[in-house]
Amino acid sequence: MARHDELSDLGKALAELDEASVETLVRQSLSQGIAPDEIITELSAGMGEVGERFRKKEYFITELIYSGEIFKHAMAMLQPLRKTFTGGKAKGVVVMGTVQSDIHDLGKNIVVTQLECAGYTVVDIGVDAPAQRFVEAVVESQATLVGMSMLLTTAFGAARETVDAFTRANLRDKVRIMIGGAVTNENVRQNIGADFWGKDATAAVDIARAVYQ
Amino acid sequence: MNARERIAAVIALQKPDRVPVGPLLDHYAATYSGYTNAEIMMEGDKRIAAVIKTATELGPWDMTFLADTANAVLLQMGVAIPIKLPGRDLPANVIHQFQETEFLKPDDYALLERKGMMRFMMEIAGRLKPEWKGLRGLVALMKAIFEYRRHVKMVRSRGMEVAVGFVHPGVLYEYFSLGRGITAMSADTFKRQDAIVSAGKVWARGMANLAIRSARFCGVARVFIGMSRASPDFISRRNFEALVLPDLEYTINRLVSAGITPVLHCDTNWTNFFDLFLRFPARRCILELDGKSDIFKAKEILGGHMCIMGDVPAELFVLGTRDEVLAYCRRLIETVGKGGGFILSSGCSLPVNAKVGNVRALYDAVEKWGWYS
Repeated sequence: MARHDELSDLGKALAELDEASVETLVRQSLSQGIAPDEIITELSAGMGEVGERFRKKEYFITELIYSGEIFKHAMAMLQPLRKTFTGGKAKGVVVMGTVQSDIHDLGKNIVVTQLECAGYTVVDIGVDAPAQRFVEAVVESQATLVGMSMLLTTAFGAARETVDAFTRANLRDKVRIMIGGAVTNENVRQNIGADFWGKDATAAVDIARAVYQ
Repeated sequence: MNARERIAAVIALQKPDRVPVGPLLDHYAATYSGYTNAEIMMEGDKRIAAVIKTATELGPWDMTFLADTANAVLLQMGVAIPIKLPGRDLPANVIHQFQETEFLKPDDYALLERKGMMRFMMEIAGRLKPEWKGLRGLVALMKAIFEYRRHVKMVRSRGMEVAVGFVHPGVLYEYFSLGRGITAMSADTFKRQDAIVSAGKVWARGMANLAIRSARFCGVARVFIGMSRASPDFISRRNFEALVLPDLEYTINRLVSAGITPVLHCDTNWTNFFDLFLRFPARRCILELDGKSDIFKAKEILGGHMCIMGDVPAELFVLGTRDEVLAYCRRLIETVGKGGGFILSSGCSLPVNAKVGNVRALYDAVEKWGWYS
């Protein structure tokens, strides 16, 4: 990961949450003929710096979310121009959802954004997702990592049922399952039978890196 | 000592005869009493019957909430966010859930300043629930407050104290964080600081007035203050000091000046801001923690300054054994309760699927280990 002083001006602008400068620098880069993928690499380095500051408790959830929004805005400018994209292999696919009976999407959405910013393809199956929907999404996407979000203690049963559904589908040894959400901890992970507990969005990215290394 | 004296003693950081117990009761009252969650939310008589049955049979507790956060009227008035309600949008036997959207718009900061807090709150209530448009929302609120006062008397007649006389939704940053949604509010934190500060003053002044009047009317000199998304999990100290702390300090000082004890209901992890709470009036506040903050660190930093309340974690009530709950309660009593200034409680609401024996363990723990010699 690039150190702050090694970042490009664009990477630094994103790390400093300077939305206006990010937009200006993206436009400038494009007008200078710089390839979109190269610009995305600079933006990703800036997001890496944001994640690093979050780990060091210099940045917090608001910085994490706002940087993700700036990143997405920049990507919206670049995405239509990526016909010549050459480097584009995603780092891995992650299926993310809030388990059945729980409609909270705040935590899930933060994790989805951070995973996408880190270069993972995320299949977001939404909230109140039945166990079978998780299984189907894994079969369709060939993901090997699943993230289950929950905010309610009453969702523990549905999370357990989702893990069991992977076992019944003979997929349990092919997927790694992480959980997260305000009511979760290591004890809950064990009770549910998941492989990882992520205490926050950057922990989820670390888990994805470990799974897809 | 009776329950009222016990609570007064711990707020003043004096040693009562025994550690008081006062879990945050809302939807669990439905579970225990056999009513549906829909009945608890919509029907006041059933709600108070469920509260009294639960607080009496699983205690008697020294203090109970009136399932305020499962009161459909008060809940929908207090939060600017669409809510899925049991019996209406969800099965009758599940708890309500918030639908996080960008319900409040950027212009609503200015609207609040133009209209003032009360008219703004009624407009938002009308947006959420069209039948509350105009004065009808105000009538619904007044009815709910009258009902609340009646319920306070019912609980007190059974020897228990009511936790709070009003649920303050928190400073503007908290109220708008729910209403704008966390994504929009994160951007506002950096792009609309002036609007937050300016509208925040209007909100703080109006809500403090409403809180004081309501708490006095209901006869309970304590006010719950919602604190969640302004925690150090979410925002930096610099932004907290700029966007939140002035309004929070104003609110607390107004309440204390009116003879009311603020109950700082802190969800998520507030540990890194505990030192800032030393500026609030000594021996006049309750710090209520939900199991995410470090309650033992709170005792170290704030134990000589404010009463601490908490914090048996939700997952322990659901997945833990009775012995595990008892062991945690004993640790709380013997460390956080040392020398007084402590109320044994749940970390945020008792979860709806808590094991009965685990809830009962709170009272059993204070009876066994909570007596001061």
